[in-house]
Formats: sequence, C-alpha cells, structure tokens
Amino acid sequence: MKYEDAELRERLAAEYVLGTIPRLARQRFVRLVADDPSLARLVADWTERFAPLDTRTVAVEPPIRVRDAIRRSVLVDTRETIPRWQWRASLALWRSAALAAATAAVALVLYIAFSPAPPLPVVVAILSDSNGTPGWVAVRGPRPHEITVGAIHPLAEDAAHSLELWAIAGGVPRPLGLLDPQPSRPVSLQVAQLPSRGETLAVSIEPPNGSPTGLPTGPVPYKGDVLISSP
Amino acid sequence: MPDRASQLEELIRRAARGDGKAFTKLYDQTAAQLFGVALRMTGRREIAEDALQECFMSAWQSVAAYDPTRGTAMTWLMTIMRNCAIDRLRRLGTRPEGHLASEELLDKLAGTDRSDRGAELHALQRCLDELDELPRKAVILAYLYGLTRDELAAHFAVPLGTAKSWIRRSLVRLQRCLDA
Repeated sequence: MKYEDAELRERLAAEYVLGTIPRLARQRFVRLVADDPSLARLVADWTERFAPLDTRTVAVEPPIRVRDAIRRSVLVDTRETIPRWQWRASLALWRSAALAAATAAVALVLYIAFSPAPPLPVVVAILSDSNGTPGWVAVRGPRPHEITVGAIHPLAEDAAHSLELWAIAGGVPRPLGLLDPQPSRPVSLQVAQLPSRGETLAVSIEPPNGSPTGLPTGPVPYKGDVLISSP
Repeated sequence: MPDRASQLEELIRRAARGDGKAFTKLYDQTAAQLFGVALRMTGRREIAEDALQECFMSAWQSVAAYDPTRGTAMTWLMTIMRNCAIDRLRRLGTRPEGHLASEELLDKLAGTDRSDRGAELHALQRCLDELDELPRKAVILAYLYGLTRDELAAHFAVPLGTAKSWIRRSLVRLQRCLDA
C-alpha cells in the first residue's frame, strides 16, 4: 500500500484514532507513525478532535495494586539507570566481561572520545549472546540523533549474510541499520528515535542487504536491554 | 497556582529526567480518569486494570518522547490508554455480553444532551449532530467502545461495506465541520 496519498494518510490517521483499523494494519500503522512526524501530526490532530468525548466518562479510582506495581517497576528502573559518573565503573564491568576484547573496547571508546561531541560516551546497551558473553556495545552519539555500535571481539565475516540491528519496543522490532563485525569499524547509525529504557536492542542475521521485510527474518544471536532513558 | 495541564507537563518533564516520584504523582493525578476510560472500553474490571498498568508502564518507557507541542499531557496519556485498551480488546476478540451502552445513553453521549460546558465538546457535538443517525452512532460506538468495522456491521445489521463507508464519510464530514 502506498502511504504518500494525502487523503489516505488523513483517513488512516482518523481511523487509527477512532480505533476501526484492523489489528495487523494497526500495528503496521504504529510503525509508520514512529518514523513519520507529519503522520504523527495528523494523529495528534484527530486525537484532539475526539478527546472531548472522553470528558463525559466518569472517573473511577483504580485498585491500589496497580499503583503499587507501577511504583515498583519505576523504582527498579531508576535504580538501574546509569548516571554518567558511573560510566567508568560500567565500562570496567563490560570490559572485564569481555577481557579478550579489551583492545577492541578501547578502540571503540577512543573513536567516540575523539569524535566532535566531547562528553563521555553513554552506554545505550550491551548486547550479549545466549551464554551471556557480550558481543556488541552501543553508545550514544557522536551526533545527537545517532548511536554508535561496535563489535567487542571480531566476529566471522560472511558475504552471504549481514548483521542487522533492531530496537524492540512492546514486542515490535524497528530496524536501525546494518552492523560491521570488525571491532575496528564501529558503525554510527542515525535513529529517528533514540532507543530508551524498556526497549531491547537485538542483532539478527539477514540476507546481504538486510531484512527484505522490515522485520527480522533470521536467527537473533545477540540481545541486550537498553540501559538509558532518552534525553 | 499553575493550571492542571502545565502541572502534568512539569511532572512528565521531571519523570523524563528519571524522577520516579514525579511519575507516581502523575499516576495519582490521572489514573482515575484513565481507568474510567479503560473500564468503559473493555467492560471488564480485570482487563481494565491490566490495560491501565500497561498504559503507565509504556508511558514510563516513552516519557522522554512526550512532545507538548503535539498535545496536552492528558491527551498523550489518553492516547496510550486507548491503545492499550484497544490492543487488549483485539487480542481477546470478544467483549462481555450487554456491555454496550443503551440507546438512551448512547444518545446522551452522542450529543443530544446539552448540559455539558466546554466549547470543544459543544463543537464536536454540533458536528456529530450533522451526521445521519446511524453513521453518527457508529462513530460514537467505535470511539467509546473500540468496536471494529465487523462489530459495527453486526451491531447495526448492515453489510461490512456499509459500515466502512459510514465511517469513512463521517470522518471526512467531521473534519470539514470541525475545521470550519
């Protein structure tokens, strides 16, 4: 389906807000909106148009257990967030976890340190294999809407396949770009939306030019939870 | 005293910087209104509770993405709440018997009752009133109870194509009327 047609975009935005788009089309539409600010604008407009209808609905006090559950997860999250001053400690942690790859890690950090944005790199996620061995590290920068992802130790190069990075939010993967298996060649990827807490980064094995479907098609050997909240 | 909208915005800004207390406060100030909507849409308490919890968890995860130029804090939360409720309804594929509002209540919600204040609500009611009766009820039912096109067709005992074109035409007319 083409999504450039102005009338179609308006109608989809309206029916999305109204709730009458079928389930799969709805999920597809959510992914489109994430990368399309003008479509998001249409959705916001329709949301505001219909919002007055909700003012007639009677407020009902929810049970305290919902509040408790939310408070618990929020507390856990804020404790897990890595403040910048702890960066060195966390760096040491994942570096020691991948001791053999120390050189690679240092190379990546130097690469970041000498790029135009001077602050210390903020680790977005560390992606590990199923044994818990870190394989990739993703850091914020160097430019505002970028993350830089590098292999911690050299991985097998294979012309028949590529490695694709995904951010997974609420079970829905969005492609971020292709990675390079050599630690000396970290890749900076422009991201419309920085991955943030609650999302997972994952690397899948795909055909040479990446997944043809917009969703992971091959095995997913590396995964890691996002450690930061967006700025 | 700042108004409620800017208070909520400030709480979101603080939550985006990792302030969990501000986020809990945001919950305390908005949960009842959102829970009312979740109950209305799902018709079942336990589903509404799950949807409310999911709503706030996903709000917490995306709190940094909130953009006040795209709508008020409450509209943002309400959008997340509606999404969670709709996703749950779609996954379940069923809804409780007798959950939908009576015709009388529907008429009230659809705008024949004039007791409410608020220029926005009045404008929306006026534009809804300009629609034909059945398409108007279809739009209201879809919004308030998350009915699918198929459910709308079954409810009004019309072919699916009819329900689809009611919705399509009503939305075009509503937009024209509201933006006029």
